[in-house]
Amino acid sequence: MNGPVIKMNPLVVALAGNPNVGKSVVFNQLTGESQHVGNWPGKTVEKFEGKLNFLGREIKIIDLPGTYSLSAFSQEEEIARDFIKKEKPDVVIDIVDAASLEQNLFLTLQLLELDVNVVIALNMIDVAKEKGREIDAKMLSRLLGVPVVPTIATQGKGIENLMIQTINVADQKRVKKRFPKNATKRYEYIHRIVERCQKETAVGPTLTERLDGILLHKYSGYLFLVMILLLMFFLIFQLGDATSGYIEQIVDYFRQNIPPEISSNALFLFFWRTIVEGVVAGLTVAIPYLIPFYIFLAILEDSGYLPRIAFLTDGLMHKIGLHGKAFIPMFLGYGCSVPACLGCRIMESEDQQFLTAFLATMIPCAARSVIILGVVGAFLGFQWAAGIYLFNILVIFLLGFVLSKFIITKPVGLIMNMPSYKIPNIPSILRRALLQVKQYIFIAFPIIILSTFVINTLDFFGLLRYISGFLSPITVGLLGLPSIIGITLIVGFLRKELAIVLLAALLGTENFSEVLTPLQMIVFTVVSIFYIPCAATIATLVKEFGWKKAAFVTVFEIIFAIAIGAIALRVLPVFGLS
Amino acid sequence: MALKNKELEEYLETMYRKKQKGEKITTGEIAKELSISPASVSEMFKKLEKRGYIKYTPYKKVELTKEGEKIGASILRKHRLVEDFLEIFGVKREKAHEEACALEHAVSNAAEKAFERAIKNTKNAKPLSTLKEGQKGKILYVVGGVMANKRIEELGLTRGTIVKVIRTSKYGCPISLLVRDSELAIGRGIAEKIYVEVIE
Repeated sequence: MNGPVIKMNPLVVALAGNPNVGKSVVFNQLTGESQHVGNWPGKTVEKFEGKLNFLGREIKIIDLPGTYSLSAFSQEEEIARDFIKKEKPDVVIDIVDAASLEQNLFLTLQLLELDVNVVIALNMIDVAKEKGREIDAKMLSRLLGVPVVPTIATQGKGIENLMIQTINVADQKRVKKRFPKNATKRYEYIHRIVERCQKETAVGPTLTERLDGILLHKYSGYLFLVMILLLMFFLIFQLGDATSGYIEQIVDYFRQNIPPEISSNALFLFFWRTIVEGVVAGLTVAIPYLIPFYIFLAILEDSGYLPRIAFLTDGLMHKIGLHGKAFIPMFLGYGCSVPACLGCRIMESEDQQFLTAFLATMIPCAARSVIILGVVGAFLGFQWAAGIYLFNILVIFLLGFVLSKFIITKPVGLIMNMPSYKIPNIPSILRRALLQVKQYIFIAFPIIILSTFVINTLDFFGLLRYISGFLSPITVGLLGLPSIIGITLIVGFLRKELAIVLLAALLGTENFSEVLTPLQMIVFTVVSIFYIPCAATIATLVKEFGWKKAAFVTVFEIIFAIAIGAIALRVLPVFGLS
Repeated sequence: MALKNKELEEYLETMYRKKQKGEKITTGEIAKELSISPASVSEMFKKLEKRGYIKYTPYKKVELTKEGEKIGASILRKHRLVEDFLEIFGVKREKAHEEACALEHAVSNAAEKAFERAIKNTKNAKPLSTLKEGQKGKILYVVGGVMANKRIEELGLTRGTIVKVIRTSKYGCPISLLVRDSELAIGRGIAEKIYVEVIE
């Protein structure tokens, strides 16, 4: 054979690094549009993969979860470690934050102890320079025995060189190293490395320090927090309101224009209605409210403000047996309860994960916001809707206070890194928001369509009315609502957002003020918010915490919601509401 | 044959260390670590299982039970405590480690508490949570669970490290520190467990 032999199988390259070192930016730079998301086998942690062709080599890039170490404390660490040990990638690119080299090298040493080729991307050298730190990459490379490439991933600088080095070492066999085992000694060792390759000059306070002076301030910090969150919700609802009008027109078009070959057959019509209504009702929540929600969330995340929120709310969260990081999954609850329950994994202990998930399921998700805004907001005014949100927060807090006494056995405190503020990268934000919406569609849509099928079947056989009669002691007796509303409560179990559509259909009008008193609207809305997580959420709870705990949450929330509704019915008239 | 406590504890401690590192527990690994023949290790595993400290399927896997993990963690905690104690009082680290290996089995729970108190009262040790903004301190000792300690250590808060308090806060909120050039936020509860010597 003549000429160079081209290796046919693609190179497998894994990206490793601490959280907040710009790993996802490097990943985006390398893979562009070719990426796709899956889950790690048997885990709920997202697995990002992508492809790239460079210097005639096909390269598969796998983005490992961001971790501080490979000790297998958390699921993320276990995934990262197992992948490197078992799948043996050709190269691991270790992305290191040049501005906090010492802390980052802890993970680097653990990587060098494994049987794998390593290339170090010394990222964010611009930020390091701002902080007065200059690193001699050549010296660092000599001390560690692997290539070190300075990069500024956000500007694409150094990425090409990084890949050249990656290909260079891909076919080599690096001898694994040994470092001191004890963490204290290990950090002493790292400290000596850093001393030899880092030059420090004194600089004035950085932008992050100055911003934190205001945003983490004892008083103004909280003022800004409230303002930022309010602004965010205001914009989401404004955007949602504007887009949902258009979507309704499309919905109507599909409802009215049923192809004749389908409408002539009763069975076809049944399935047509089920699927169209299911998909359409799902989309009316996903597009207007979830997309803007996830975009804002990604902005909070990428700008570095999210850890500040955790910092500010830590004291409050301690009162309910949790810590500041619990704010993040709870906040996710305003989007969709399913990712909120999954997000509880960032809590360290199982007790804390469970309590956080428990409380997060009671936060009004986008679908429940549709009820709050569509019933109370539309007919009683904005201040009442806002009042319901506040009431919800208050109840969750009080409930958390009580529940934590029974659930939390050993509280674990907050430890987290405070990254520098960054200007968010817009393409990466949009991409992430869309990915999250896509995941919502994959998880929720099959359940939505199935649920619509169940509802339509019940309706077809006239069972819905029978059930609502059966429930009337609760709906009429305890809650003072029209008997027919029992149906919406059952439907709400399967699909929250459909409750309002069905309410209109059952009451025969979309103007709820004609048939419901303001008091009834409030009671209905309050019960809908608290009374049960939807089917998709229950499925997630079962998967995360087992069926016993999931059943406990479900039963508890039904009773709790009815109790709150019954109290509201009897207390609110005192304040002049009838 | 009666099982000597020391031997039992040594096994459980070793297994617990392995588990913490996320490594698999196998007969061969334990044999190597304790310099004992694999045959006697599997013999020992059977005994440990009888007592309910481990779950053991020969040639497959060994798992610590809750009870076994509790003992393993307690011995490891005592080991670190004795090590720290000796070091603070001037014993060289290697020597302190050796001594700790021998002493860890003899330390009762009451003695453990007493050692902790003694460390807290040494020198100018005071909890990190009491430092003011801008003050610097050198970490002497971390009280509390092994798990939390390891997390703290991995993020760079090891003994001898100099930390600077960047921000304290109200309402029981966290404090933020400058550690190894990066900013770390830690909850009140944890800051109360880290004892430092104020240096500036």
